[in-house]
Amino acid sequence: MLEIKNISKVYGNGENKVTALNNLSLTLEKGGYIAVMGPSGSGKSTLLNVIGGLDHLTSGEVVLEGERIDNLNENELVRLRRGKISYVFQQYHLLRSLTALENVLLPLTFCGSDGKKPRAMELLEGVGLGKRIHHKPNELSGGEQQRVAIARALVNDPVLTLADEPTGNMDQKNGRAILDLFDRLNKNGQTIIMVTHNPEAARRAKKIVVLEDGQIVDQILNNE
Amino acid sequence: MKLYQVVLKDILRRKRRVLYAILGVVIGTMTVVGILTTATAGQAKITAQLEKYGANLSLLPAVKSFDTGLGTLNLGTINVGDNYIAEDKIPQIRQITDTLIRKYRPDISTEGNISTIAPTLFIGTDVKGNSVVVAGIDPEEESQIKTWWVVSQGKYLDGADQALLGGQTATLLDLKIGDRLDLNTTTFTVVGILEDSGSDEDYQIFVPLSTLQNAFDKEGLVSSIDVRALCNGCPVEVIATALNQDIPGIRAVAVKQVAAAEMGMLEKINTFMLAIAGVTLIVGGFGVFNTLMTSISERKKDIGIMRAVGASRSQIIKALVYEAAVVGAGGGILGYIMGTALAFAIGPIIFEGTAISFVPIYLPVAFGLALCIAVLATLYPAIRAMKIKVADSFASL
Repeated sequence: MLEIKNISKVYGNGENKVTALNNLSLTLEKGGYIAVMGPSGSGKSTLLNVIGGLDHLTSGEVVLEGERIDNLNENELVRLRRGKISYVFQQYHLLRSLTALENVLLPLTFCGSDGKKPRAMELLEGVGLGKRIHHKPNELSGGEQQRVAIARALVNDPVLTLADEPTGNMDQKNGRAILDLFDRLNKNGQTIIMVTHNPEAARRAKKIVVLEDGQIVDQILNNE
Repeated sequence: MKLYQVVLKDILRRKRRVLYAILGVVIGTMTVVGILTTATAGQAKITAQLEKYGANLSLLPAVKSFDTGLGTLNLGTINVGDNYIAEDKIPQIRQITDTLIRKYRPDISTEGNISTIAPTLFIGTDVKGNSVVVAGIDPEEESQIKTWWVVSQGKYLDGADQALLGGQTATLLDLKIGDRLDLNTTTFTVVGILEDSGSDEDYQIFVPLSTLQNAFDKEGLVSSIDVRALCNGCPVEVIATALNQDIPGIRAVAVKQVAAAEMGMLEKINTFMLAIAGVTLIVGGFGVFNTLMTSISERKKDIGIMRAVGASRSQIIKALVYEAAVVGAGGGILGYIMGTALAFAIGPIIFEGTAISFVPIYLPVAFGLALCIAVLATLYPAIRAMKIKVADSFASL
């Protein structure tokens, strides 16, 4: 479903040149679940950004469901974010002025599908926030905010969910709850790529990819 | 959920910041509305005052005078032409005057008479052994021109055989209300005495025109005609030229009185005040621009979130323009209210004793102006916001 072919990403030039990704290749099947690990500066977040169209490649190709997505223009990227790819961030990134339900509805506002409120409610029920839908982010705990962010990421039924350190800001208990949620989503067929520092989080994935200096140095398959 | 609802909720969260932006617009529109409202009231007052200066066109018989002489010996002056204007020329005079006013001021009513035309017949006669000038007037038209006339005793003319006396005439001739006054073949009754105005009129006697014409056998004749076409921009000079060309036997003179000068002065004051208002508006616009720039930089993350969940660039711009519209609309309405209040406060100081009133037409003006400032001030920040990269907006955190 996802093919990453010999991608490189270089920032700056001359003496300031930094190679964030170096001729990296990777494939992911539908329903797959990859955890990307590695030390700081190894290129984990850059990898996630280039897959999600948030950053441009220096060379190489990213192909999602047969469509090359690394060279899309702005309008095509908007289309990508509206249906194919969704993000879950470490900082949750919810809009402070909106309630949990409204945050989940936000992607639908932008793509003009107004009639999916029941779907948003169902997702919030699914992440255990059925009774907190009218609460604003500042009235929710970190774990609850992340669950809202996950519900928001799923409301458009994306083919791929990219999660950047989704438990990075949480205590162990809340972190586990979020990882349980990702497990459940994956079991239901959701394809996930998760960047993490947390070995426990990585063990939940079907495959662990270890990066160092922008290259894959190890790939570990986790047993079911 | 619609985009405008997202914007409104965000505005409610950032009430204080949005209020600062609204305040920037209010300052600009308040000044403009305040100045315009004051100027409107001032103009009305000055126009009303100017009307008291009377006619702005004088029509006299086209009499030509020649000095005659033999060598250094002066043999006197020869007058060529009639000393009177035929009264039947008045309809033609009115037609020329009204047509030209309508042409230059299409906003003025298209029906009925516009100009005031007051014919006068002057007769020098003898009353109780004193030489007196008697003026035959059309009481109604004359009262329109001589707005400064105040009847101190009795009443104004409302009958054929009535006489109105200048203040000094009454004293010098020892005449009172109800006294009879014989002028040639007709006897008049004194019905009113005017308050002194400090002019020749204080020594004159005013009677209805037709009665005086009959009494002195001057049917259909008048000595002069005063025309008042007082309105800002009325083409007095053009009217005078047209009358001189088209009506033989008369000499029309545009009375270049204080009116033109005062109107010109008022226009200069208006221009100056509007220039101040314009500068204030620009300053207000910069205030809004600055507030929105700060606001957008503060909301870089929110814009990044919206982009990440599927907002297009045009939707981001639309959201910012919605916010600008709220700032503009709020600023426009508040600016109108506060500007009118400002006019109520400063108007009577600038134009002494002027009554200021609400000018409803300035509400849409203020609204439109405020909207324009807010939207224009949003353009650059919006373009900058449009260029924010999603990854950058999160990386900065």
